[in-house]
Amino acid sequence: MAAPTAARALRPLWGARCPLPLSPHQAVPRIRPIPEGPRHLHTTPACLKTRAARVRVGKGDKPVTYEQAHAPHYIAHRKGWLSLHTGNLAEEPGAAERAVEDAFLRRFFYGTFPGVLADEVVLKRRANLLVVCLVLARGLPPAKLYFLVGYAETLLSHFYKCPVRLELQTVPGKVVYKYL
Amino acid sequence: QDPTAAHYMFQDDPFLMPRNAANSRLFSLSKESGRNAAKYIIKQFPQYFDKTFAEPNIPCLMPETLTPQIEGVNEEALKERIHLRRVKDSVDLFDQLVQAGTPVSLETTNSLLDLLCFYGDGESTPEKEEQKEDLEEPGVQASEQKAPKRQFQRGSQSSGSRWRENNNAARIFKIMPERNAHSYCTMIRGMVKHRAFAKAYDMYIDLLNERHKADVHTFNALITAVPYLKERFIERWELAKVFLNHMAQQEVQPNLLTFNAVLKTLRRCGGVGRSMSPLVIKEMEALDIEPSLATYDHLLFIFYRGADLCPSGIISEVLDDIQKRSFTPQDPDDGMDFNMSDNLHCLSLGEKCCDLRDIKLAYQLNKAMEKGDNWKFIDMDRLNAYWSKFFSLLCMMEQIDVVLKWYKEMSPSLFYPTPKNILDLLQALDAANHLEVIPSVWEDMKQLGFNRRQDLLEELLSLMSREQHPDEIQLAFAKCAEDIKAVHEQTGREQTPLEWTASALSHVALLFSRAGRTQDAWYVNMMERFQQINRIPTDQVMDEFLNCAKQTNCPDEAIKLVKLAASLGLPSSQRLKSRTEEEFVLSEKQK
Repeated sequence: MAAPTAARALRPLWGARCPLPLSPHQAVPRIRPIPEGPRHLHTTPACLKTRAARVRVGKGDKPVTYEQAHAPHYIAHRKGWLSLHTGNLAEEPGAAERAVEDAFLRRFFYGTFPGVLADEVVLKRRANLLVVCLVLARGLPPAKLYFLVGYAETLLSHFYKCPVRLELQTVPGKVVYKYL
Repeated sequence: QDPTAAHYMFQDDPFLMPRNAANSRLFSLSKESGRNAAKYIIKQFPQYFDKTFAEPNIPCLMPETLTPQIEGVNEEALKERIHLRRVKDSVDLFDQLVQAGTPVSLETTNSLLDLLCFYGDGESTPEKEEQKEDLEEPGVQASEQKAPKRQFQRGSQSSGSRWRENNNAARIFKIMPERNAHSYCTMIRGMVKHRAFAKAYDMYIDLLNERHKADVHTFNALITAVPYLKERFIERWELAKVFLNHMAQQEVQPNLLTFNAVLKTLRRCGGVGRSMSPLVIKEMEALDIEPSLATYDHLLFIFYRGADLCPSGIISEVLDDIQKRSFTPQDPDDGMDFNMSDNLHCLSLGEKCCDLRDIKLAYQLNKAMEKGDNWKFIDMDRLNAYWSKFFSLLCMMEQIDVVLKWYKEMSPSLFYPTPKNILDLLQALDAANHLEVIPSVWEDMKQLGFNRRQDLLEELLSLMSREQHPDEIQLAFAKCAEDIKAVHEQTGREQTPLEWTASALSHVALLFSRAGRTQDAWYVNMMERFQQINRIPTDQVMDEFLNCAKQTNCPDEAIKLVKLAASLGLPSSQRLKSRTEEEFVLSEKQK
């Protein structure tokens, strides 16, 4: 009796194709299985889905901003870019450095403005100047926001040796595009 | 220039824009303190910020290296520490050198004396590090950083560090094997800076005995010390003349700062100052030295100190001069003493004496401000004071539409009106009979945070309720009155409710009754007055209320009013009763 139930339990392990009757080690799971089973290619049904930067549809209670709601193939159609620089043009140097700087800056702002960042940070580079555009929720009083702005501007200027300017926009709360 | 935008240092967002002067100061200071926090971190961890990958290298974005590099007890190390302004280290090193017997050159000793005399005996703190050794250089360079400029300027003004007996500088001076003129001069300047004036004078006598020549800066310092050396005005002037004669004897050419120092001394010389200062100005012109803003400031102070003085034509001459030139800062007093505001202060004094000319002077001054770099001489606080005085003058002297135009242009962007400004504005509106603008003024008052000030509320209410107005205006007034009532009754929310005063209450009731809002008026009558504070309503209020009740045809209200009057024991209750009986159709029961 144990054997048929064990067999049934084990069948999903092998997928639709269970080529051989089960050996005792597979049938009775108490015994540690010796790795000796049939040697086939393990194939599961192919999962040919891209998952990059997409929010999966859920129950309908997850608020999602415009930025998050659109997949990457909508860039240049319905979305803009989050980071604008000339490093990716033909024969221009420095694309990799800009990418690393972008990653650092996003983490920096995520930490410096804890809980009040309402959307992704937009970085614009014009010649030497780095303009950082933030959308913040009104969680902190304006004096504290100004403190953080002065701090971030000076620290980043000294770190990256280029003038850094912060341009803020405050919104009452996160701007929800739809619920997924 | 956008009249609705705040200063460009603030973010352009309605939540982040400052609405009144206090907020504007708070935000600019918090931004500055954020910058200071970042600078502190850069100073603490310079190893993360010193990679030079910018082409060309930007030195102002690199962390400062303030640790001395050269070790060992030798003269080079001493020179380096002096250069880095490390007072205590240099003194220690000097002592070590002297004890070890190595001769220290005269120049190095002189530069050590310079350092010590400049900093008194205290260590150079980060605040004072920004000061330049050359006293002529202005502190106006950091003009974007308005707040710390004000802080360290005040710090240097009141550098109350006293010159102690036998401090390091005096000690080193004594043990110097040879001294030249420079040593004496430095000591004199240091003593004057740190307020040891008698000692400075003695040191000067020593210098003369040694037959050295003093330089221009020393003489300037001595002249500034004159008011502290003598008491009577004549003696002060005589001493200043003595110094000037010595200067001429030693063939030292006076410069602008000399004349400014003389004028500063004359400021404290009363009547003598007034007679002597034109002569000083003539000397300056003869020597081809252009007067700076501080010169004008001293002049105006000398002539306008008393409130009862009749202004001479000097102020218009001064303004003409100022208009022709744009100024560069040349004297540390240029920025500090806020010449412009003193000008305007004199204007408001002058307006007491003579009338018409002064608004023109104010416009002239305004134009002079906008020319070139002149606006940089004032920092944010005083700029607000300047505009506020200007606006008061405008309200008093100009027509109402000009006033309103300036108000709209200036109000959120250039300056934040003070309560006095709002009062002036209300009076101007009253004088011009333009009272329908009052509801918008009330909106501005709310935004500025003045909606709890008793004086402003009284003024506003009395203006609104003085006369009968056409209907829409009356409705608008009633809405304002409702806001004011809400202010008085606000409970909880960390603000204690304002106390009602009798006049405020009566005005509010009047306004409500005129607008036909009987319920509100009755509510005001019943609840507030009767129970809590025992104020007596005036007859006018009673009459108005009766009128209102007649208009809305509520005889019950009228009867309630009569009962109230009777219970309060008012003398007019009889009259009210008869009026009620006449004007209303009453049923028997009501009678």
